[in-house]
Amino acid sequence: MSRVRIAVRDLSKTFNQGPREVPAVSGVSFDVHDREFVAVVGPSGCGKSTILNMMGSLVAPSAGEILVDGVRVGARPAPQIGYVFQKDTVFPWRTVERNIALGLEYRGVSRREIGTRVREAVRLAGLEGFEEAFPATLSGGMRQRVALMRSLVVNPEVLLMDEPFGALDTHTKLNLHAELLALWGERHQTVVFVTHDLSEAITLADRIVVMTRRPGRIKLVYDVKLPRPRDVIALRESAEYLKEYGEIWHALGEELQERAS
Amino acid sequence: MKKGSAGVWAWRIGILVVVLAAWEYLTGIKAISKTPGLYWIDPFFISRPSAIARRFVFLMSDQVRLPLWRMALSTVQSTLWGFLVGITTGFIAGLLLGRSDRIARVFDPFIVAFNSLPRIALVPLITMIFGFGLLAKIVLAWSIVFFIVFFNTFQGARSVDQDLISSARFLGAGERQILRTVIVPSALAWTFASLTPSISFALIGVVVGEFIGGESGGGLGYLIIQSLGTLNAADMMVALVVLGAIGIVMALGIRQIEVRLLRWRPEYQKR
Repeated sequence: MSRVRIAVRDLSKTFNQGPREVPAVSGVSFDVHDREFVAVVGPSGCGKSTILNMMGSLVAPSAGEILVDGVRVGARPAPQIGYVFQKDTVFPWRTVERNIALGLEYRGVSRREIGTRVREAVRLAGLEGFEEAFPATLSGGMRQRVALMRSLVVNPEVLLMDEPFGALDTHTKLNLHAELLALWGERHQTVVFVTHDLSEAITLADRIVVMTRRPGRIKLVYDVKLPRPRDVIALRESAEYLKEYGEIWHALGEELQERAS
Repeated sequence: MKKGSAGVWAWRIGILVVVLAAWEYLTGIKAISKTPGLYWIDPFFISRPSAIARRFVFLMSDQVRLPLWRMALSTVQSTLWGFLVGITTGFIAGLLLGRSDRIARVFDPFIVAFNSLPRIALVPLITMIFGFGLLAKIVLAWSIVFFIVFFNTFQGARSVDQDLISSARFLGAGERQILRTVIVPSALAWTFASLTPSISFALIGVVVGEFIGGESGGGLGYLIIQSLGTLNAADMMVALVVLGAIGIVMALGIRQIEVRLLRWRPEYQKR
C-alpha cells in the first residue's frame, strides 16, 4: 500500500447547543492513502461532514487529531487541499471563466497561463460557450461543474468533497460521476468524498467508510472490488455491484433501523 | 420596447393632456362674472399651465439676473457631489464597521443617535459652519446619503457568505485577497442597491439646504423660497417642474448604472 496522506487519529467532536453538549463524532480513526478515493457514508447527522470539515480546518476537533502528509491540521487549511462544498459556492458576480480562474489569480499565475489553463478546464467540463455567462443563468449541475473545475484547475493533491452532487437530479448526478471519474483517472488525486448515497459511494470509491448514527463511529471499512475504469451506467446492472451494495446496505440498514426504533 | 408599451404611453400622454387642459380651463372661469379675483379655482395659488410656460421662458432668458438654467445647474451639481462623497464615505465606513465587531460595537450608539436626528434640524447649523454657498448644500446631501449607504454596506459586509470565504481560502487566497475578491464585491451588491434611494435623498437634502442658503447658494430651492416671498405661484411651479424633471433623469441614470453593475444578479437577467 502506498503512503498515508491523511491520518485520522481518535477524532472526536462535541458541539455545544446552548447548555447541552451534543457529541457528533466519537473516536474515529482511519487512514487515506495516496491516490486513493475514499467515500464516507452514513445516516444523516452521523458527523460525516463534520469529519471532512475538520480535515479542511473549517471545524476544530474536540479531541484527537488529523495529519495531512504528517502535518497536524491547524487553523488554516493545508495548501495541497482542495474543497468542494455541497452548497453552491460559485461567486455569483464572476463569470464562469473568472470563477475558474480564481485560484490561479490568488497564486499570482500570469494572465497568459491563466487563459490557457482556464480554457482547458472549460473544455474538460464541457462548458464551452458559457465562458462569459454569470452563474445565475446556469443550471445547478453546471454551477457544480464550475465549482469542481475551479478546485481542480489549481491541481490540488488532496480533494475533499462534501456531498457535492447532493442537490442534483439523478441524471445530472450520473453524468457528473462519469466526468469526475474521468478527471480523477488522469491525475489520481487523493479524494475523500462524503455522501449519504450508497450507490454513489460504490460507483466512485476504492474504499468506503461506513459510519454509525450519531454520535458517529466507524461501523465498518469496506473495500470496493469493482474494476476500473468504471462505466457508471453499466456498473449498476453488474452482479458485483449488486452484491457489494447488498453487503454495505445490510450494515447501513442496521443503523437506519436503530434510528427508527 | 416591450409589447403593448405604445398603448401605455398613449394613456400616459392622454392623462397628462387632460389634467393640463382641465387645469388651464378651470382656473380661467370666474365664480361671479366680472368680479376680479373670484375664481372657482384661483390661479393665484396654483397658477395656470400657460402662465407657467411663459414664466419658464422668461426665467430661462438672460433678462433675469440669475437665469433658471444656472439655478438648475447649481442644484444638480450639489446633488451629484453630495451623492458621490456620500456613497464613497458611506461605503468605506460600512465596510470597516461591518468587518470589525469591536469598532462596530464602540460606534453603534453614536451612529444610531446621529441617524435618528432629523437631518433637517441640522440645516441651520450646517449653514452656520459651511456658509451660504455650495458647500453647505453638499454637506447636507452627504449627511443623508452617507447613512443610507453606510447601513446598506454594513449589512452587506455582515452577511458575506462564510462558505464563499472558506472557498477562497481553499483556493489559496490570503486575507487581503479575500477582502478584495469576496467581501468587497458582496458588500458592493448591497451598496449598489442603495444608489437609487440615495440620489433622491441627496436631492431632498440639497433643496432643503437651498431654502435657507439664500442667493449665494442659488439653486431651485432658492427660487421656490424667493417665489414664496413674492407670492408668485407660477415661478414656484416652474421650479417644481424642473426639479421633477431633474429627479426623474437622475433616478433613471442611476438605475441604468445599477442594472449594469448588478447584471450578474438573477433579478437583473434578461429574459
